Amino acid sequence: MHDRRMRLFNVARGAAAIAIALLVAMIFIFLSSKTPFTALRYLLIGPLLSFHDGAVIFNAQYLYQVLAAMIPIIFTGLAVTVMFSSNQFNLAGEGCVLVGGFVGGILGVYLNINSGWHWVVSILAATVVCGLIMLIPALLKVWLGASEMVTSLMLNFILLYLVLHYLNFHFADRTKGATMTKEFKPSAIIPSLVPGNSKLTVGFIIAIAATVLVSFFLYRTRWGYTIRMIGINESFSLYSGMNVGGTIVLAQVIGGMLSGMGGSIEVLGRYQTYLWRDLPGYGWVGITIAILAKNNPSYVPLAAFFIAYLNKGCLLMSTYCDVPVEMIDIIQAAIFLFFAAEQFLSGYRQKLVVKTTREDLERLDASRLAQGGNKHV
Amino acid sequence: MFEQLFQTIFKADFLFAILRITAPILFASLGAVVAEKAGVVNIGLEGTMMITALFGFLFAYWTQSWLIGVLGAVLVGCLIGLMMGFFALKLKTDIILAGIAVNMLGAGGTIFLLNMFTGLRGNTGNLVTPNILIPTVKIPLIDKIPVLGEVISGHAVLTYLAFLFVFFLWLFLYKTPLGLNIRAVGENPDAASSVGVSVLKIKYIAIGLSGALAGFGGAFMSMYYSQGWNSGFVAGRGFIALAAQAMGRGEPVGSMFSSLLFGLAQALRTKVSGLQGVSSYLVSLIPYVTTLLGLVLYSVSIKRKARKHAVKAVKP
Repeated sequence: MHDRRMRLFNVARGAAAIAIALLVAMIFIFLSSKTPFTALRYLLIGPLLSFHDGAVIFNAQYLYQVLAAMIPIIFTGLAVTVMFSSNQFNLAGEGCVLVGGFVGGILGVYLNINSGWHWVVSILAATVVCGLIMLIPALLKVWLGASEMVTSLMLNFILLYLVLHYLNFHFADRTKGATMTKEFKPSAIIPSLVPGNSKLTVGFIIAIAATVLVSFFLYRTRWGYTIRMIGINESFSLYSGMNVGGTIVLAQVIGGMLSGMGGSIEVLGRYQTYLWRDLPGYGWVGITIAILAKNNPSYVPLAAFFIAYLNKGCLLMSTYCDVPVEMIDIIQAAIFLFFAAEQFLSGYRQKLVVKTTREDLERLDASRLAQGGNKHV
Repeated sequence: MFEQLFQTIFKADFLFAILRITAPILFASLGAVVAEKAGVVNIGLEGTMMITALFGFLFAYWTQSWLIGVLGAVLVGCLIGLMMGFFALKLKTDIILAGIAVNMLGAGGTIFLLNMFTGLRGNTGNLVTPNILIPTVKIPLIDKIPVLGEVISGHAVLTYLAFLFVFFLWLFLYKTPLGLNIRAVGENPDAASSVGVSVLKIKYIAIGLSGALAGFGGAFMSMYYSQGWNSGFVAGRGFIALAAQAMGRGEPVGSMFSSLLFGLAQALRTKVSGLQGVSSYLVSLIPYVTTLLGLVLYSVSIKRKARKHAVKAVKP
């Protein structure tokens, strides 16, 4: 009884937070757009339904595009979930996505494996490289106590400029106008799941598999238990003999591996050449997703769908109306602030707790009276 | 190549550039110092600088007065800080997440707002007029001294203010009752609260101040340093300020020196990238690698000191 009511309350609170975020979005749309209602229509239902001369048609390609956009952010969402579960505010997921994409892309161009293994090997290599990169903030934290947050923020910029250096001076294809690598070999491109140009690739299945694996790891293994316990109470974990240092390193390395895998799958699944010249932003979106999923990996795909849907909506809104695509950042920030707010609607929760307890006591009294005992109070 | 480099480094204009580059980082790192002293991690400095830089510029453009622009930026910065405080202290959003939200607003929200207010995309372009820019000051007497005058005189008003603030902040933190309360709340909130200090109020004040200081930094960026606002132009200075605060042991003076170290690295970057045969991207690494190394060295020294204390405690 009690549990169900509290769970219902938590769902309602999450819904209220999202509703506030959308309300904020609406205010800004009304402030900035000349055709606010058309803009809203594109934002909210545009990603699934398209409109032609008054007729409403379900657009399967748009749905595939939304699902495809989920792929990298599922990975970064999972990465952040694992790292935040152990209370490590490592923000280098952003840089790892970039490096993962770069390493995957370079191997996609230069590796010589003419079979279905080419892209698999490229992705795995990117995964390993990014796991190793995350050792830097993790070991600095464990050995020296340097804040992983600050070192990982610096690391993002270092990784960005390193990638730019190698892209420009070693791997750039000089025959093209913009800075990019040579084209990937056909065997390096991740096969598509559906017909059309939606970029919904096998990567989606890998992302879902990763979700299942990470859920299993966090909730059904000894290491996962240690990670979560360190997040809840580090001193307790230390005094009860858990390997705190090793686990903190492990959590961040796993985070780096997941981010790197996401980056390489995105690059090899979406593009023909490697062309990122700035941090792609998936790392930060991963934090939004981890918050929406309440650090529970099983909810990550759901949260990723929501964000991908909104993203597509914002894109359509900026294409067909006069609202800039950066709307998505304002919506995300609002979700961030309210969804993560523990005390949001706490007054109502208090009332709920009081009501539930009173009902429980009354029921107890009733059963006692029935047995011929005394009243509780 | 090195000879060329040395020739450019040992010149007054290089030292001048260091002070100019340091100023915005110094403002932000002082903001980080105040917040940290009250036990609040303000990771939103980056976003605060982006937003205040935009609003400072817009206010100045609308009124054609740089002073109103700067004051507006400081006010907006203070409001952002208080908003972070409201979510973190009242609604119990994790302060780091609240900061990341502010950074998101700073990265994308500002582009949206600029478009909403002016119809421009990504940068303020030709809105810049001389009235908007923060004026520079020639210090009488000092500017007559051969080298020193060239280095110290002729900076923007806010550059001097940044270095003055180091002293004022020290004075504020160590010589005023409010400063004492801020430090007490940061060190032991329970003890502070037991002697009647309102922990909540003090934290609000600290994070508001922190935002206001970042506001000075933002105004400096758009109204002097870059002479206009464009997307992504703060380029991690807010994050570097956090590192400078950590490296400077959370003290105003220490943070000033680590900010200067970053200013030096950045100035070196502009000098080196002008030379032949040097990868501009590798040169861009200098400030960030310097900061990372500084942080590592600082952590090592702290660790060694802690061990010494531990040894002393065992063998009195």
